[in-house]
Amino acid sequence: MVEQITPDAVAASLSGGESGFGRNQQSYYDHPVLQKPHWRWEVVWYFFIGGIMSGSALLAAAADTFGDEDDRALVRNGRWLALAGAVMSPVLLIKDLGRPERFLNMTRIVKLKSPMSVGVWSLLGFSAMSAIAALEELLGRGRVPWFLGGLIPRGLRNLFHALAASFVGSYTGVLIAATAIPVWNAGRRQIPAIFVCSAVSTGCAAQAALLALSGGSPKSIAKLEKIELVAALAEAALLVDYASSAGETGNALFGGEIGERLRAGTLIRGIAIPALLNLAGIFTKPGHATKRRVVKTLIAAGLTLYGGYVLRKSVIEAGKASADDPRAALRQPE
Amino acid sequence: MMTQTDGQEYGFFTDVTLCIGCKACEVACKQWNQLPSDGYTFSGNSYDNTGSLSATTWRHVEFVEQFDRVNPAESRWVMMSDVCKHCTHAGCMEACPTGAIVRNEFGSVYVQPDVCNGCGYCVPSCPFGVVAIEQERGIAQKCTLCYDRQKGGLEPACAKACPTDSIQFGPIEELKAKAKRRTEELLAQNVPARLYGVDEAGSVGDLNAFFLITDRPEVFNLPPKPVLPSTHQPVAYLSGFLATAALAIVAMQTFRSR
Repeated sequence: MVEQITPDAVAASLSGGESGFGRNQQSYYDHPVLQKPHWRWEVVWYFFIGGIMSGSALLAAAADTFGDEDDRALVRNGRWLALAGAVMSPVLLIKDLGRPERFLNMTRIVKLKSPMSVGVWSLLGFSAMSAIAALEELLGRGRVPWFLGGLIPRGLRNLFHALAASFVGSYTGVLIAATAIPVWNAGRRQIPAIFVCSAVSTGCAAQAALLALSGGSPKSIAKLEKIELVAALAEAALLVDYASSAGETGNALFGGEIGERLRAGTLIRGIAIPALLNLAGIFTKPGHATKRRVVKTLIAAGLTLYGGYVLRKSVIEAGKASADDPRAALRQPE
Repeated sequence: MMTQTDGQEYGFFTDVTLCIGCKACEVACKQWNQLPSDGYTFSGNSYDNTGSLSATTWRHVEFVEQFDRVNPAESRWVMMSDVCKHCTHAGCMEACPTGAIVRNEFGSVYVQPDVCNGCGYCVPSCPFGVVAIEQERGIAQKCTLCYDRQKGGLEPACAKACPTDSIQFGPIEELKAKAKRRTEELLAQNVPARLYGVDEAGSVGDLNAFFLITDRPEVFNLPPKPVLPSTHQPVAYLSGFLATAALAIVAMQTFRSR
């Protein structure tokens, strides 16, 4: 009787290493298995600006609902930042389309299965609510025209704004995690949370910088720095968890040049140094807005913003590198 | 020769044991679909200078050279004509935010060129690396399973051009039965044949364009266990919501404290 050559027998002979078909062939001439997204700098900046605007809106909503009189400047700045981001985002996104003149096709359908469609609709909702919130800053607190939702209680309006902001801040993480790119879907448990943390920390940083520059309340700045500290530390913990759970697939993000930049730019300059500065701020009483305090706030804020940008850039570049790596794509999913 | 029926699913059965690597399918596809040239490059990888499927290459013949130093007589070449798989659960179709990617009346996954706005999200969402953005027109492009020819009752250009019937076109169920018979036949002849994309248990499901291969799928750059990207969505959404809720509580507590 002739022994049948089954594919499994071939694989077994392969592991023996001496003979058999397909020896050393782990892929087809090391050609990429996957196609990589064309996303250019516009998408990196959208992820970054989208984070700041969603973080700012969240903070403004929280401060308007729970804060005191001191936090009024913070609420105002946060709402204007949210609106500015909401104006810039679609420009960047439309510019990145292959056919920009067809951007309205995004609104043909609502498709919950597609994070891209969910994102477009949440961005539209967020923009509308940010515009109303900014209008309230122009007209005076609580004076929103009835046809723009003025009859809805302020707390509820803030809640809706915060919900839309949280969607805008987290869907980008879902968007990339739910693709076939190995390094991205290996981080499906962490990437959206990391993006949310980065959104809040960069939102805090942008607002703290604005307040420090305009001579705002040191107490408000101290609150922002406290939230920023928590968000940044959570982000660092999630990044470590991501790196350890992704294993070899994570090399695209945590190894090589991209990993080097992520560690130096995001973990050390963007998280560790501002965290130390903010930690020092917690143990000193928020007294007067001394020059030293302003400079400290500006340095911490600048570094946090830089770290948030490096994070977005690294994650997108890592996705492209991972798509080009056939070994990552052909690895059996756990 | 054949009349296509609406609602009946059609597909390809690509059999590597019959492929002679003539690339007639690549040429016929380019010609019928009026796809531009990809330029002249010399890859050095056997006779394959095409490299991979792309927005302008919808059939790609792979040349797998397997030389066996211990038993030279056992050396072989395997050629496989790769193509869009027209998945039962298509990652590109789920990802498309405009609804440009649809399943047509013949069961094929089709990109409507006048609806696509080139957002590019389908590209990383394909577990097989098929769909890509065509730079010239700025839209996503891939094999249409010759939708236009099928409308006219013709078989796709590649299947028509294939001289050895390595590429066969027909109603899915018929093709699958044929493929299973062929696999048994080959196994009886000691050829390590297996089907790729038939009776699959994974999230992508069966492929309307499936393959008979004679080695592990990796050798042909086919993922051994393709995963539908949207299966990662629930845990990813949860991750985002939990982080937002936690930080919202932190912000609430911080602003409350006087």
